Amino acid sequence: MHEFGIATEIAAAAVSEAEKHGAGKITAVTIRVGVLRGIVPDSLRMFFEYAAKETPAEGAALEIEEEPVLVACAECGETPASGLTLTCPACGRDGVVVKGGDSLRIVSIDVEE
Amino acid sequence: MKVEIEKEIQRSAEDAARDLKRMFASRKVLAVNLVSSPGSGKTTLIETMIDRLNGRLRIAVVEGDIETEIDAERIRKHGVQVHQITTRSACHIPPALLVKALDHIDLDAADLLIVENVGNLVCPAEVPLGEDVRIVALSVTEGDEKPLKYPLIFRTSRILVITKTDLLPFVKFSTEAVKAAARTVNPGIEIFETSAVTGEGLAALIDRVEALHAEKVR
Repeated sequence: MHEFGIATEIAAAAVSEAEKHGAGKITAVTIRVGVLRGIVPDSLRMFFEYAAKETPAEGAALEIEEEPVLVACAECGETPASGLTLTCPACGRDGVVVKGGDSLRIVSIDVEE
Repeated sequence: MKVEIEKEIQRSAEDAARDLKRMFASRKVLAVNLVSSPGSGKTTLIETMIDRLNGRLRIAVVEGDIETEIDAERIRKHGVQVHQITTRSACHIPPALLVKALDHIDLDAADLLIVENVGNLVCPAEVPLGEDVRIVALSVTEGDEKPLKYPLIFRTSRILVITKTDLLPFVKFSTEAVKAAARTVNPGIEIFETSAVTGEGLAALIDRVEALHAEKVR
């Protein structure tokens, strides 16, 4: 359910940015989402469609870029992983440092001039 | 036309969490965010902590539920400050709601603030409330593999309280397995085995909370 609040905020932010640029209709919104945010893309898209109704973002596509976590291993360096892991995806070693994967931001919007 | 934006979403939530952290620091209150699935015994744990900490620390409680004042009513009977948040549909307490709830709590008259989050092992893990300590409770009837299934909440918690250990003879639950699972996702997690029925482990947990408070106000 936390997708609902996020979708509402994305729609509002996209509309306000479009207005700043004097744009009319928004055709797409691209966001970057870390895998640790626990966001279900289909659910977010559904709520976004609802939140964008009767705004310049109505009907806009929501493009979701997934941000992996980076697993830093003393031997292998940084390897991306699609979820939380406590071992290196490359060599299986423990004692890794996990970073990233927690982004949640709008990257860009596509607008009609 | 493509417009590059790079705008953080939910920044307002992060700002509110930072405000809360500052507020807890300035009032010298140890803030605990108590999380778990529904029915693991969070409210009972708070009740027993209040009764046993009686006089040692002044406690205030914020209760979070989707609906009803039932939990606040239970806590009120123990003679401490309490305020109920009803989130309506939200599956966690948003920091902004906690800020509002604290209008009803006199933090200067409290040493320990316990925020009982909405019962859920998923969403509360992602929403910090500016707390000093996150405690995750897990009852023995829930299964010992939960830390592996819901890693984020166990990874972001400082303390794991295993509850209802009096039921161990009746369930297939290995305390050793759950400890190993919790340490797989969070090697430094502190673990307490407790029962509100027999009183097992509660003294140790309460001593630990008291020590964390002493550390904070030192």
